[in-house]
Amino acid sequence: MAAVAVHQFAQSITCHAWSPDQTMVALCPNNNEVHIYKFIKDRWEKLHVLYKHDQIISGIDWSIRSNKIVTVSHDRNSYVWNQEASEWVPTLVILRLNRAALCVQWSPKENKFAVGSGAKTVCVCYYEQENNWWVSKLIRKKHNSSVTGVAWHPNNILLATTSTDGKCRVFSTFIKGVDPRDSGAGSSNELKFGEQIAQLDLSFTWAFGVKWSPSGNTLAYAGHNSMIYFIEDVESSPSAQTVAFRDLPLRDVLFVSERMLIGVGFDYNPMVFAADETGLWSFVKFLDEKKTTQSSSKYGSQFSEAFGKLYGQSKQGASNDTVEPSRPRGGAHENCITCIVPLRKGGETVVKRFSTSGLDGKLVIWELDNYIDLLQ
Amino acid sequence: MAAEGFLEVENLEAIITRIEQKSRKIESLLKQSKPVEALKTALEGSPLKTRDERCKSANWIVVHRAIMAIKDVDGMLASLDPEYYDILMKYLYRGLATGDRPTCDQCLRIHEKLTERAGLGCILRSLADTVNTV
Repeated sequence: MAAVAVHQFAQSITCHAWSPDQTMVALCPNNNEVHIYKFIKDRWEKLHVLYKHDQIISGIDWSIRSNKIVTVSHDRNSYVWNQEASEWVPTLVILRLNRAALCVQWSPKENKFAVGSGAKTVCVCYYEQENNWWVSKLIRKKHNSSVTGVAWHPNNILLATTSTDGKCRVFSTFIKGVDPRDSGAGSSNELKFGEQIAQLDLSFTWAFGVKWSPSGNTLAYAGHNSMIYFIEDVESSPSAQTVAFRDLPLRDVLFVSERMLIGVGFDYNPMVFAADETGLWSFVKFLDEKKTTQSSSKYGSQFSEAFGKLYGQSKQGASNDTVEPSRPRGGAHENCITCIVPLRKGGETVVKRFSTSGLDGKLVIWELDNYIDLLQ
Repeated sequence: MAAEGFLEVENLEAIITRIEQKSRKIESLLKQSKPVEALKTALEGSPLKTRDERCKSANWIVVHRAIMAIKDVDGMLASLDPEYYDILMKYLYRGLATGDRPTCDQCLRIHEKLTERAGLGCILRSLADTVNTV
């Protein structure tokens, strides 16, 4: 239960996504390109470079059934890439944004995708057959700041967002002619496009990394104040739980099952959160076992040097010899983790493998072989 | 609007009275050499929501009195419940902001031990919270 594969792809990775069969990975090496790698024999080979954006690519998602890649960038544009013969052909999606696009996700049915942006808006895009292009519909005037994360409910209608105004919101994205009236989404079918279903005002600071549990019953998101929020029954009668933890804040989260969640972020080391039989969520442990040997160091963070100096000064006349220098932490990641993606085999309800990437340019694959181990 | 202002004034008077009561209780706890109890009393019911600087200063004076009376930092933290960590951290930063040498020395001493115990998350929560200020 640890990192099973670590590969340094670049100096830094902004985001990554896996092909439907999980043999290829698309990632952005912190520039305006998407690189597609395939693991051949015993090493990663670069197969394609998708080159169309002008600025850093902030989001990539690869659809499982239709095998399409969607990318969004700080250049305010989005492209949908379709594989024709051996080439990836881009189609421009006019998002009508005046600020950077920040994140993107395909809807579960893959007939829509959502883009969060710095223009305080969310774009929901769908394909128009007669014109042969992707149309963008905007959810405006609901967010007071940049939209940092989007997450689709399994019913293909509800969309959750997090924003730097500290709030998490849930919207209906029902589009006439795209979504059937009886799509099994229950009451959310009667809602108009862009209607706000809930606004969760739990965090006093930036919110990141929103996700739904596999069934869509629980919603989770992280605050930039080292807190994580779990909300049950958002649609009917929301009940929230707040979990404060002792380490640095999270950037992204992933439900591996209804009752277990992995959080990644500024602490370099994935954290496991789990709910007990009564549904009470709590921090369980760090995933990277190497951390335990490291945590014996004085503060266990890159700030230790600065703090040490500060404390050293407060002791008048005391020498600074006792101050421990900061050192590498020995885990799989060596910098902030910004992205966590499940590696789900067809038909599996629980995630057993997932990958993480971050500012250190490493892609790490993790395997959870034994849930009981995790809970110990 | 007028009614709201009136309510606010009422509230402020109530808060100040409460802080005065707290102050007397703390003095008596300190006389009985119960510095940890005094600190807990000081931190409890701090006026976080109000924007009124008078209330915040009055409460800071009380908390400051309790913080400065702490001799055994490890012992204090061992008997202080974790729910007080975040609020104590906020007051430590207020203490460091005064620039007063003895106050800063004491706050740094506690800050070091509190960080070991409560982690960096505690610092993040104190710094990031712009609504519940001390």
